[in-house]
Amino acid sequence: MLTEEKKKELLERLKNAVIQYDEDTAKEAAQEALDVGMEANDAIFNGLVSGMQEVGRLFESQEYFVPELLMCADALYAGLDILKPHVKQLDLGVKGSVVIGTVEGDVHDIGKNIVKMMFDVAGFKVYDLGRDVPLDKFVEEQMKTDSDLVCLSAMMTTTMTGMKKVIDDLRKKNPKVKIMIGGAPVSQDIAEKWGADGYAKDATNALKDAINMISSLKKLKEEAEAGKIDR
Amino acid sequence: MSDITSRERVLKLFSGGEVDRTPCFSGMGNVSTEGLKALGYKFASVHLDAKKMADSAATSYKLFGYECGVLPFDLCVEAEALGCRINVYAHSEDLLYPTIKEKVIHNENEMDIAIPDNFINKGRIPLVCEAIGLMKKDIGNEVAVGSYVLGPFTLAGQIMELNDLLKLSFKKPDKVGKLLDLLSEAIIMAAGEYEKAGVDYITIREMGATSDVLSPRVFKSLIFPYLKKIVGKLKVPAVIHTCGKTNDIVTSMLETGARAISVDQKNDVQESRKKLGKDALLFGNFDPYNVLVTGAPEAVKEAMKKCIDDGVSAVWPGCDIWPTVPAENFKAMMEAVKNYRR
Ligand code: B12
Repeated sequence: MLTEEKKKELLERLKNAVIQYDEDTAKEAAQEALDVGMEANDAIFNGLVSGMQEVGRLFESQEYFVPELLMCADALYAGLDILKPHVKQLDLGVKGSVVIGTVEGDVHDIGKNIVKMMFDVAGFKVYDLGRDVPLDKFVEEQMKTDSDLVCLSAMMTTTMTGMKKVIDDLRKKNPKVKIMIGGAPVSQDIAEKWGADGYAKDATNALKDAINMISSLKKLKEEAEAGKIDR
Repeated sequence: MSDITSRERVLKLFSGGEVDRTPCFSGMGNVSTEGLKALGYKFASVHLDAKKMADSAATSYKLFGYECGVLPFDLCVEAEALGCRINVYAHSEDLLYPTIKEKVIHNENEMDIAIPDNFINKGRIPLVCEAIGLMKKDIGNEVAVGSYVLGPFTLAGQIMELNDLLKLSFKKPDKVGKLLDLLSEAIIMAAGEYEKAGVDYITIREMGATSDVLSPRVFKSLIFPYLKKIVGKLKVPAVIHTCGKTNDIVTSMLETGARAISVDQKNDVQESRKKLGKDALLFGNFDPYNVLVTGAPEAVKEAMKKCIDDGVSAVWPGCDIWPTVPAENFKAMMEAVKNYRR
């Protein structure tokens, strides 16, 4: 029987396993959560993800650095792997898929990997093309996977201009797809000028914006299919 | 006083003497598109040809009076000599910096590598030495000539997946330490060749260990000992560079025995000066892109004055000179440093 108390204890363990980057505990607690009949969604969002939110805070306040963040992510993935098959339906309002990568000529991928992780956590299907990605590859992959969103990262002012080419190309082939760009030299201004749908200065904001964009995209699609405008 | 050459000024600075004014130079890449244009070279072609590399590196002095010649321009030399494959984007007309295409360590189990026999003759180490010689013959009487090596951690990040390296730095520091120790040997060998070729100073670029990525604690416990080891083996003055907010580690950087510390624009350099004391050589810290490339000439001048007011020993960029620097900004920079006294 799942008592409130037991539930609280398990959520706390999941959360702390992520914060303390303890993969084994994350796995154990995730399995136990399933065994005692806890909802997988609950364990993910109120346990693992809530731990990751705390990690994000520690990162921002420079108590944690990139290695800690990566290890916390591993703990989170360890728990997620066990819980995901039991998820009824990820309850974020949207279920999206995203193509992500660092553009050609640029090997800076630390930031991109952090953004990617946020999408994983939120239950997105992520197609990670890696770093130094030939510009055509983004368009190709988007077409192949019919992803809702394409995320481009660039850390240099020279490679950044490659993003404009990708945006133009994507628009031609698939006007509906949402495009988000980021990386240190990128700004809201540039995003607007180049016709991207979004820009975010960090991973948390990237996720928030992406969810908003995809929800509106889904809504449009549904409305078009239902042939009505009101709601 | 005015007949002192830039070379004398910089060498005097390194040897601890009084200089007539703050020098303006760098230990990191200093090629510009203006320089390449003057020579008719494509950026992609200068990484594989000693003469083109030397010519390009000399242009910032020849065109603008920048007080040094530094080569190479990319961060792949040691990694390539250790067996990585690199990409110079030979067919690109854009400014794409060479990158590592294939790493030598693919997972944790492959970390037990050895330095290849005849390492100093591998990859582009001989080419860089040849280029140093050519550059020295060309401008070596007028300006100091320098080169750089990577710090052991940054080099490790070039030859294996950085994500793995970062995590292992926590999980298996001994294993990482062993690799860093080995890489230090390789770095010392490469630097030794550059010294033989005639460089006046060497910069150790440990940008992968920036406080944007790695905690000061790990820097001190895991990386510091190997930086110290490398510095101890260099015969010419060593400069250590790390990116980001480095004030928590500047004293450690100096404790490696390095002759000078180089910091970037994210660092509060007044604070660094306080921490290091008035005699330490502190180089920095203008933003090579957001000031030197995109600023108006007046803004460039103000930024240079601010560096001097903040107490740097040499006005020096936070990273490579970014190639697209406009000619008038380069000139404005030199003019400001030459005419300004604190
Ligand atoms: C670490 C580093 C490296 C490492 C990269 C290792 C790796 N695998 O990533 C190494 C040593 C290999 C390297 C190489 C080079 N580097 Co470097 N590097 C850096 C450094 C110090 C840190 C970058 C970083 O990881 N930051 C930490 C992460 C967490 O932050 P972030 O990337 O900004 O990501 C966040 C946000 O931007 C955002 N975000 C990121 N991507 C996206 C995408 C989307 C869609 C969204 C919404 C948001 C988003 O969310 C992230 C999380 O919050 C920066 C300086 C700096 N402080 O930025 C220079 C810097 C980027 N490098 C620079 C340079 C010049 C180079 C070299 C050209 C040097 C050379 N001479 O060869 C080479 C480039 C080789 C190449 N062709 O790519 C310059 C670029 C200058 C310019 N004008 O553009 C910088 C800015 C340094 C400087 N001060 O001048 N570098």
